[in-house]
Amino acid sequence: MHPDHTGRGTTVHPQGSGVAQPGSGISRRRLLAMSAAGVASPLVADMSAIRLLRSPAFAAELRKQERRVILLWLAGGASQFETWDPKPGVKTGGPFRAIPTDVPGIHISELLPGLAQRMRHTAVIRSLNTKIADHGTAAELMECGRRNDPSVRFPDIGAIVARELGRLESTVPDYVSLYTSTEGRRKGTSGFLGARYSPMFLSESMTPPNILRLENLADVDHHDRAALRDALARRFTAESRSLAVDSHLSAYQRVQGMMASADLFDIGREPESVRARYGSTQFGEQCLIARRLVEAGVPFVKVARAWWDSHGQNFETHQELCADLDHCMSALLDDLRARGLLEHTLVITLGEFGRTPGINASLGRDHFASAWSCSLSGAGVRGGVAYGKTDEEGHTVVEGEASAGDLFATILASLGIDPEHEYMLGSRPVPLADFGSEPITEVLA
Amino acid sequence: MQQTEPTAARTPDAVKVVKTHGLPAIPFCIATAESPGVAFVGMSDFAVHRIDLGADKPEASPIGEARHGSYVTGIVRVGGTIVSGGYDGALIWWDAGTGSVVRRVEGAHAKWIRRLALSPDGTRVASVADDMRTRLWDVATGGCVADWGDNDVKTQHGYPSMLYAVAFSPDGRFLATGSKTGLVLVRDAASGSIAGRLETPVMYTWDPKARNHSIGGIRSLAFSSDATLLAVGGMGKVGNIDHLEGALRIELFEWQAQSRRAEIEDTKYKGLVEALRFGPGDGWLVAAGGDNGGFVSAYATSDGRLLAQEKVGNHIHDILLAADGASLVAVGHQQISTVTL
Repeated sequence: MHPDHTGRGTTVHPQGSGVAQPGSGISRRRLLAMSAAGVASPLVADMSAIRLLRSPAFAAELRKQERRVILLWLAGGASQFETWDPKPGVKTGGPFRAIPTDVPGIHISELLPGLAQRMRHTAVIRSLNTKIADHGTAAELMECGRRNDPSVRFPDIGAIVARELGRLESTVPDYVSLYTSTEGRRKGTSGFLGARYSPMFLSESMTPPNILRLENLADVDHHDRAALRDALARRFTAESRSLAVDSHLSAYQRVQGMMASADLFDIGREPESVRARYGSTQFGEQCLIARRLVEAGVPFVKVARAWWDSHGQNFETHQELCADLDHCMSALLDDLRARGLLEHTLVITLGEFGRTPGINASLGRDHFASAWSCSLSGAGVRGGVAYGKTDEEGHTVVEGEASAGDLFATILASLGIDPEHEYMLGSRPVPLADFGSEPITEVLA
Repeated sequence: MQQTEPTAARTPDAVKVVKTHGLPAIPFCIATAESPGVAFVGMSDFAVHRIDLGADKPEASPIGEARHGSYVTGIVRVGGTIVSGGYDGALIWWDAGTGSVVRRVEGAHAKWIRRLALSPDGTRVASVADDMRTRLWDVATGGCVADWGDNDVKTQHGYPSMLYAVAFSPDGRFLATGSKTGLVLVRDAASGSIAGRLETPVMYTWDPKARNHSIGGIRSLAFSSDATLLAVGGMGKVGNIDHLEGALRIELFEWQAQSRRAEIEDTKYKGLVEALRFGPGDGWLVAAGGDNGGFVSAYATSDGRLLAQEKVGNHIHDILLAADGASLVAVGHQQISTVTL
């Protein structure tokens, strides 16, 4: 666990992960044995098992598993009808067909043929009712799992994962966010966790700015200066050690790490065959960067693909953007799997909301948050599941309604993070997932 | 709608909506019936409908039990036969009188069929689709007699391209197609050889920075009666491609000379130009389309100046222009309207 002092000077006392929970019924030895045997995941499939996530031994074991997250943020709001919850043949269904997947009984839009053949790795949630349908507030809701309180700035999922799964000694960033388009651009927020967990935000290029050594500084000089600084720091810390000094040293180490990790953003270092699989679109290249980052140990990477806000020509828009999503995400899942990373990496598709069942006069669909979909693939997820149900024309959720908080709790649980784990803001306990939210155990492995 | 013989060339000085009726689904294409005042319409309920335009309350009735597998977006009629095409990639030959299916060609295209055009002699149907193929079909036998694929399958930015528009020249010699990226290819309809190539890049509407996608493309084409002029319709530069808020855009070419005679951008009524027709005598052309709302506008072909225009119901997808150019029927979002010019 990272230090409790945030950059904003607010003391945050993590509760739970350092406290063994009585009555779990499973000994630490048994738990570790199960984890080592690779059988920890099934424990998560019911609520009693989720309570086990509070065990420090379990948390430590999961940290060793180095779980990672790649969030594919479908900015502007993708249509559930044209992705995960097709309704062919009804008035609201649009022109696209539903196609079978590699999981019997599950059909998705024909616009996602590649992902249809990878459904065994994916759980689709078709029953989100998140109520808020304006871009800014809805994006905040889905990123943070709750509405912001006037008195508290909550951290987003990236910041929480960075804090919970990041390693103090890591030399790579904990949270990287790529959002190149300007529409709906959101940097992400670490809220009360402070600047330490803010994302490395890449908007103008796919390479972090200002992390390369100055051209007029020779490499040998650069290393000599670092060595001298380290030597002086060691002497100083031997005589005077404090949290402030540790933090100062940590900052230098992280800067050095980031400079050393510049190559991670250089997809030119990938074989041409790998680059070709991801394709030449900006989204494809950014997905490849995301894979390089999680492979190097970055806990959370967000790749935003804008802009799905299809008030006009919804079907043309989704033909274009779904082709991009299908190709790039398929390549990503395959690549992660081939490298043995998929079982450790959760890949999420999510936006701020879905699209209306009604088709407007511009052949568009408008904002709609009452019955929409997202997907979870990989780590901690029971693949081949379509959870929840909407009515025949997609107006309402009729089965398995899930809130933004429920989804947030589900994501955390899939990573082995206790959703009920609390940060203390002064005397105020703040659970990681909003009060009253529950993980959707049906989609957890 | 009354079909009358062309008389002395006249120029529209006003656009007036005579009547508008609601429809239960979205009509994308319209063709005349043999009977005056009757039309066939392809709609979003996957069916081809018959509509009696002369009725007090025109109603759309499916012509038979059969359905396409998706939206019906192209329709032509030859005598007692209707040919329809849809986003299911299928072509269906119908008996216009009974509504029975005469022939069904599944997989006529691998992707969405966007439009059909009938050769002036009534022997060929041209189809264009998102597989970026242009195909000619023998109306009598249903056989594919030509298959051309000179359009790139992907845009220059790596995304699927689309082939939206097709039109025969009135003499049947030429066939023009228009793509998402703004490429017009004019072919010799007999040999398939490329007779002309025009670029209308503004109509692509690619937004590389803010939203990273496009929404436009060439949506309509029309030849003048002597085939010397080719009108190309779409949408102009758009700031926010969430909506169809770009200026309606028409480029008028003397295509064999590779010369652009007029460039029309009209912002009073915005959106896509979905249909273009030359009026009798070629002195003017009519454009229809829209954003959420529909428009009908008439322009002089000499210099592109506006002659008349009016808001017409919802976004218009197709029109039938009367032979005398005095009226048209427009099918728009869940509506059908009769308009005088």
